[in-house]
Amino acid sequence: MLRLTIDGVEVQVAEGTNLVEASKKAGIEIPTTCYHPGLRVVGQCRICFVEVESMPHLVTACSTPAQNGMIVMTKSPRVRNARAAVLEFLLANHPLDCPVCDQAGECSLQDFSMEIGLDESRMIDEKRTFPGFESRQIGPAVVQNQNRCIRCSRCIRFTQEIFETHDLIMKGRGARAYIDTFDGRPFDNPWSACVADVCPVGALTVKDFRFRARVWHLMETPSICPGCSVGCNIDVGHLDGVVHRFKPRTNPEINGWWMCDHGRSLASDLNNRDLDRPAVRSGSTFSTLTWNEALVILAETIVTKKPRIVASANLSNEALFLIRRLFVEHLDLEVVVPTDSGAQRWIKNERGTRIESIEVQPNGTGARLIGLSMVDEKGLRDFVSQSSVILLDNRAHAWLAGPDAAAELRGRLAAVFGRRHTELSRTADLIFPTASWFETEGSFTSSTGRVQLARPGWSPVRLGRPAWRTLTDLAVRLDLPLENCISPRRVFEEIVQEIPAFAGMTYRRLSSEPGIPILKDIPHVG
Amino acid sequence: MMKPLLLRARGERNSRSLTTYLRFGGYGAVKKALIMDARDVIKEIKASGLRGRSGAGVPTGLKWGCVPKASGKPKYLICNADESEPGTFKDREIIRVDPHLLLEGMIIAAYAIDAHKAYIYIRGEFFHEAQMLEHAIGEAYRKKYLGKNILRTGFDLDIYVHRGAGAQICSEETALIESIEGRRGQPRLKPPFPAMAGLFGCPTIVNNVETLACLPHILENGADWFASIGTQESTGTKLFSVSGHVESPGVYEVPLGTTFREIIEDHCGGIPNGRELKAFIPGGSSAPVLTAAEIDTPACFDAVAKAGSTLGSGGLIVMDETVDMVWVLENLLEFYAHESCGQCTPCREGSAWALNILRRIRCNQGCPEDLETLCRIADFACRGMTICPLGDAFCEPIRSFLDRFGGEFRAAVTSGNPPRVVKAPILPTRRDQSMFAKPGTESC
Ligand code: SF4
Ligand code: FES
Repeated sequence: MLRLTIDGVEVQVAEGTNLVEASKKAGIEIPTTCYHPGLRVVGQCRICFVEVESMPHLVTACSTPAQNGMIVMTKSPRVRNARAAVLEFLLANHPLDCPVCDQAGECSLQDFSMEIGLDESRMIDEKRTFPGFESRQIGPAVVQNQNRCIRCSRCIRFTQEIFETHDLIMKGRGARAYIDTFDGRPFDNPWSACVADVCPVGALTVKDFRFRARVWHLMETPSICPGCSVGCNIDVGHLDGVVHRFKPRTNPEINGWWMCDHGRSLASDLNNRDLDRPAVRSGSTFSTLTWNEALVILAETIVTKKPRIVASANLSNEALFLIRRLFVEHLDLEVVVPTDSGAQRWIKNERGTRIESIEVQPNGTGARLIGLSMVDEKGLRDFVSQSSVILLDNRAHAWLAGPDAAAELRGRLAAVFGRRHTELSRTADLIFPTASWFETEGSFTSSTGRVQLARPGWSPVRLGRPAWRTLTDLAVRLDLPLENCISPRRVFEEIVQEIPAFAGMTYRRLSSEPGIPILKDIPHVG
Repeated sequence: MMKPLLLRARGERNSRSLTTYLRFGGYGAVKKALIMDARDVIKEIKASGLRGRSGAGVPTGLKWGCVPKASGKPKYLICNADESEPGTFKDREIIRVDPHLLLEGMIIAAYAIDAHKAYIYIRGEFFHEAQMLEHAIGEAYRKKYLGKNILRTGFDLDIYVHRGAGAQICSEETALIESIEGRRGQPRLKPPFPAMAGLFGCPTIVNNVETLACLPHILENGADWFASIGTQESTGTKLFSVSGHVESPGVYEVPLGTTFREIIEDHCGGIPNGRELKAFIPGGSSAPVLTAAEIDTPACFDAVAKAGSTLGSGGLIVMDETVDMVWVLENLLEFYAHESCGQCTPCREGSAWALNILRRIRCNQGCPEDLETLCRIADFACRGMTICPLGDAFCEPIRSFLDRFGGEFRAAVTSGNPPRVVKAPILPTRRDQSMFAKPGTESC
């Protein structure tokens, strides 16, 4: 451990820490634009100057390692002057189009100029522009505005160092240098939108989020990406009941600072719902019911028909646990959880370790730990090939969405749960609207063996209900009340008591830690 | 006038050929050096007081001494022949006249630092010179001065010629290394210095052509002999590439410490057409300009530094009384704005901005505030504000021109019809709410 003094505050940091991180420990923020904790230090933007006693020149905090006994000043007049000068250089040719820029509100340049308080420029000449580069779509997910670029090279280093695709490069020299794709090819790697996250200004923006909302209006809810079994940590940005974007949330153990474009593209899915109340089939049409009526019919069906249950690895640990309790333990029905290895996705964590997905569903690992039996596509087809079936999530498996499944299950589908109609739901006898994962609290077990908590952004809309609630209500109708299971939190307490892998976890710990590793040895992937 | 050392073969027939070189006693120094201990070679060079000829004037022996002895990694020697500063063309002359002198110097240097691979990084535009080097290297290989087991001493050395692609920034040693590694040529953050981790992450020494060409002479005639030429701190001879308003421009070799008057008047035949000297730049375009009054400054590292400039690469640019200093500065900035690699903010933005201002002044559109802005740019884009010295390279001229010829600049900005100076707001502040109200000024 090294001891040093920053602005009179003494801090202890580990060997090799740079002055930016050391200051953070002392509660002092140093402006940085080219420095990113996940990328190589290049010291290009020169805004992070600090004064170190006994060094003749100002030094860049990002590239200076802390040393024992160092005395650092981050607010001396010399430092302020230098920072103001660098900021003036950065702004000299910047278009200053904050009113129409999507980055406004989360732009480093904007923050620093507010902080440093520069409101006049000496620049009276015409600004440098890059005609034709104002809103150039460089790939399926990213739009570039070169005029705003400050050439911090974060985007380039991201493509070189993190996913090693080397798609972005700097072309030209000096003031005419600009960012382009290598060989002019489209920038379409699976993580391309991350460059918009690392871009400190509005030069690279995510296409889907452009002009949708001002970021200071957005509510951000910490959650978990449902796109695959890795479980990248995300912030869901939403406004007035509409989800606008997913943004990676730092988790050193799982996704570092990144997430993949597939995950991001799932944001708009949360806004889609066309099943909004329970319905029962009468002939070839459906008539709507109240939940109460619908649950009574469902309970009856279960008792008389003893259907087989297809659960889903898209459900949270809590829901899966209740499924086990009610259907397996109390009712002794056959339950399976279908999973699908799908396209493999991977991400790198903070240490650069590659984390690979094993399934497209987010909670297959949780289902396995809870002790439900898992099936693949073939197993699922065998399972549903006879007797009547209840489908707890119409998107549990890709096969269920296809025409085959609808044909196969015609006449035998006792009930289906979902947010959207599929071909399959039209053949069911009962239809139940469910709440999305974003409308209820729940924990998910990543295939890296970490349990993580997803927070709800709002309560369920229309008559959609979360699975845990449907299950507890159903249990009451069946006269098999599930004690203590009145909220996800309480269900989780039950899980912790019953399943050794979850021992010692609480919601409180889950929300303050980067996921808690499960106790049992599971085949570790990634 | 003393007999030239580095350019001793100038004027000979077939001066580049190995035969001519051997006639001058060539490769004698290598024979001597390769049976010495490497440490003694370094000691000898230290004793000679040889200082780097590329600009900074770092003692060569000292630089070599920084190479870690037992890092377990291969070591590299790089000859920096990327001579691209305006006004400097001395290395080209050495290659044209006597490429074997350079090769012999490289063998000695490589032996001293224990390198078995050496690169000559030559400016892309020096196409013919690169061919000359290739030819000379071929000759040397055939005669066993290069390759495996040189002169049966057990020392191996391979030399490769690597042509640059036309960026002046690649004459900065770390940018040069990046370029050889196949990346975009832009300077690296230091430390680590190349002597610790340079080419391919291995210890690397980068020396200038002229520096390397001095080595055979030192080894052959002894350190004391070399130290006796020149002055106390600046030993040996130096090539000056003289351009501008002199009767006969060209490359001249003089002992360090010769005054600029001698170089300009005796060697180059003075200013043509009976005009007066106005100013001269002593060390390539990045060195601060000196006035006619300073012509008696001795051309050695310390005296020039005392006069407020640097000896730099020895590119002497002479300007007579007819020269418009505003135009000269614009011309210089045009070069630096073009050559800035674009990574550090102050240099990238500052050089282009300063150039814009000067262009405007030259179009009679200057205003007195412009000079302040120029000073401010010069203050904040140099001396550690940037990664490499290119920041200083364009700031020092600005500062020195405004210092020494401020009158001309002031006249230029007051005589014009300046644009109305509107201080442009950077961000809408409370004082300036109107910016929000202006309709239709922004589109996206
Ligand atoms: S596009 Fe953004 S991230 Fe890339 S260099 Fe420019 S400012 Fe930096
Ligand atoms: S953050 Fe340190 S130089 Fe850019």
